Amino acid sequence: MKLLAFMCAMALSCSAQTQIKQGEQIFAKTCATGYCHGVRGGSSGAPRLAGRGFTQAYINSVVVRGVPGTGMASFANVLSRPDLLAVVAYVSALNGIANPDAGSEATVSSGPALTGEAARGAQLFKEAVRGFGRCATCHEVKGFGISVAAPIAQVPASVAALKALATPNVKTGTMDGESMPVLVLSDGKQSTLFYDLTSVPPVERNAQPGAVKFADGSNWRHSSVIGAYKDAELDAILNYLRAATEPRP
Amino acid sequence: MRFPLILLTIPFALFPALAQDAGATRADWPHYGGTQFSWRYSALDQINTTNVKALTPAWLFQTGDYAENLQATPIVQDGVMYLITARARVFALDAATGREIWNYKYPEPPRSIGGFVGNRGLAIGDGKVFFGTKDNYMVALDQKTGRLLWRVNIDDPRQCGCNITAAPLVAKDKVIIGGTGGDGAHRGYITALSTRNGRLAWRWYVIPSPGEKGNETWKGDSWRFGGGAPWLTGSFDPALNLVYWGTGNAAADFYDAERVLAGADKSKDIDLYTASVVALDVDTGKLRWHHQEIHDDLWDWDSAYEVLLMDREIRGRMRQVLVHMNKSGITSVLDRTTGELLGVFSVPEVQNWISGITEDGKLVGRVEPQLGKTTTVCPTAAGAKSWNSMAYSPRTGYLYVPVNELCEDVTPNNDPPQEGQNYMNGAFPLKLAPGRTTYSHVDAWDPVTGKRAWSMPYKYVLLASMLATAGDLVFTGNPEGEFFALDAKTGNKLWNYQTGAGHRGASVSYAVNGRQYIATSTGWHSSVVGGAAMALFPDQDWRLGSTLVVFALPEVSK
Repeated sequence: MKLLAFMCAMALSCSAQTQIKQGEQIFAKTCATGYCHGVRGGSSGAPRLAGRGFTQAYINSVVVRGVPGTGMASFANVLSRPDLLAVVAYVSALNGIANPDAGSEATVSSGPALTGEAARGAQLFKEAVRGFGRCATCHEVKGFGISVAAPIAQVPASVAALKALATPNVKTGTMDGESMPVLVLSDGKQSTLFYDLTSVPPVERNAQPGAVKFADGSNWRHSSVIGAYKDAELDAILNYLRAATEPRP
Repeated sequence: MRFPLILLTIPFALFPALAQDAGATRADWPHYGGTQFSWRYSALDQINTTNVKALTPAWLFQTGDYAENLQATPIVQDGVMYLITARARVFALDAATGREIWNYKYPEPPRSIGGFVGNRGLAIGDGKVFFGTKDNYMVALDQKTGRLLWRVNIDDPRQCGCNITAAPLVAKDKVIIGGTGGDGAHRGYITALSTRNGRLAWRWYVIPSPGEKGNETWKGDSWRFGGGAPWLTGSFDPALNLVYWGTGNAAADFYDAERVLAGADKSKDIDLYTASVVALDVDTGKLRWHHQEIHDDLWDWDSAYEVLLMDREIRGRMRQVLVHMNKSGITSVLDRTTGELLGVFSVPEVQNWISGITEDGKLVGRVEPQLGKTTTVCPTAAGAKSWNSMAYSPRTGYLYVPVNELCEDVTPNNDPPQEGQNYMNGAFPLKLAPGRTTYSHVDAWDPVTGKRAWSMPYKYVLLASMLATAGDLVFTGNPEGEFFALDAKTGNKLWNYQTGAGHRGASVSYAVNGRQYIATSTGWHSSVVGGAAMALFPDQDWRLGSTLVVFALPEVSK
């Protein structure tokens, strides 16, 4: 409050003042949670932010990208763009930057918003309530999911095609007398790295060279791991994948 | 400055029938909590109250991972120590000399993955070393060579906002792990994998889905993001074939209108199975019984803490007991075969969120945070005791507990959940409890009587785990860097050593070739609770680090 009064006295533009005020509120709820930063940028479970001599560019970079090796995550996909800019403006104000610029540097990378079936498909693809029975257990798309399988290059034309999907990369591995469907990652002189697809989630295994023998073909079927989805849900997921893998103009 | 409060004479004679040895460690320290009973008690007595003053460093090991802390409980088996650092660098060391046998460096997760930097320990079993990671992998190494054998991703950290910081529990042929995320829009779970090949054995969700018993205690769809993450390490009773685990608070933490049914009776279970202790069948992961400690936890009391299993005589009858504390300091004593509540007591001296607790565990006079208001709550979400473990000695019958006396100003908000993101719905800046000059104490509590036997005050906070030994010693460290030994019967300080960095980890005892060692991790954690606590003492600058310091009595020259 004091800060705002001071800034009013400095004839700060009305929009900047509103943005800082908005940033203060978002900061209080999102950043000053007790385990993390302190109220009004004081020290707490995370470092003090007020009066540190930070530049706006630095604050922007930390909020957008996070700080590797610390608890500070990227907020680029957490806060909406206006909210993110407001927090940057607020923390800038806490560092004596009296008139933070509107924050044009804050780049938030998100593509065009998905709508309709594709949006529903995006949700179904990674829905937590499905546990391991979701696409994201083995596929990474747009920053979500685990990249067990190679990136999806071609989206099946229909649900029937998805169910009948050929998976020539899946082989049969035999190790310690046990056979299992596998996806080979590397078969080098030092070690053999492969996914054991016997059950979900897949197990990434590292065998001594020669300890596992591979043979082409397997009894593994893609249809066996998508059984928790209804056909209409799979259709929505295909819609999503088409939207997600479409080359950007 | 010590204030022995209530000095009880210890009726040792009453315990000769206490033939339950399963809780004590000997030459090895095989599990996070010492044994699967989690006493953090060593039966070694070479180092005792008489000679402890001669204790001196035998070796130390600098991990080189100076991310900022060393929280891990070292594991020792057959003269080899296994240690993991904050950023998942794993070492096998000669436990008598500190010589490195092998090391394994887990690849640094990409910067898009947020979360805590810290690791509270690894586990061994089936010839392997197991640990969890910030990017939610369970990893198995060959115990002899440190070679990677397998790893499994148990959740996408970018989506769930969760990480693994806890030590896994090995029980029978399974390695069992919980994750963080209890303060986020996330649905917590415990995952059991085969120690042999990493394949999924079972997963138990803390929050039942629609159609499952317990889901009816949630409002609408709130169960999907209701928290409850069991973010620490459980215990195992092989005779009962049961795994015991504490579960986290419900999310949102400080605002309940979205998760609690209108008019819910707060003397009964709410938002199951958060804020509870649960017993699960180790083979199937099926819930055997539960005991909810805080119905509608509105204070982040978070019952995820360690579970101590012991046999004690209660009201004339020998019982198989379980002792469990949550962040409020309320400690439940349960029959571990049935979950029946046998006793309950509260450890902090400053407590204002309830006026009391009845013998059958009912909270009286709840002071709940209100939307649009700021409420002072003591103790705090940082914990009357933090995640660091207590210890239990069967010789004294006492629990040894580090207790902090802090308060917080809770201001709730009502933002909607966003999957994997913070869902505390409240700010809670900490402050010192009023009218005091000391803000923590090591206590000895008798779990049967619920009485405090002694208390040793300390000026700042205490955030390291306790170790008890048959030498009637209790060890722990403070943020200023002192590692010290107390007399287990009286709380008298008998020895201390300045290790050079703050203590936020754990100490263990073990023996190699008949020589007893005491090992402690050192290196302050200046984030989360450690950071919030340090901010309360502006003149203090507790030192980070990542060094294991190992003590022994001087060797007698031959």
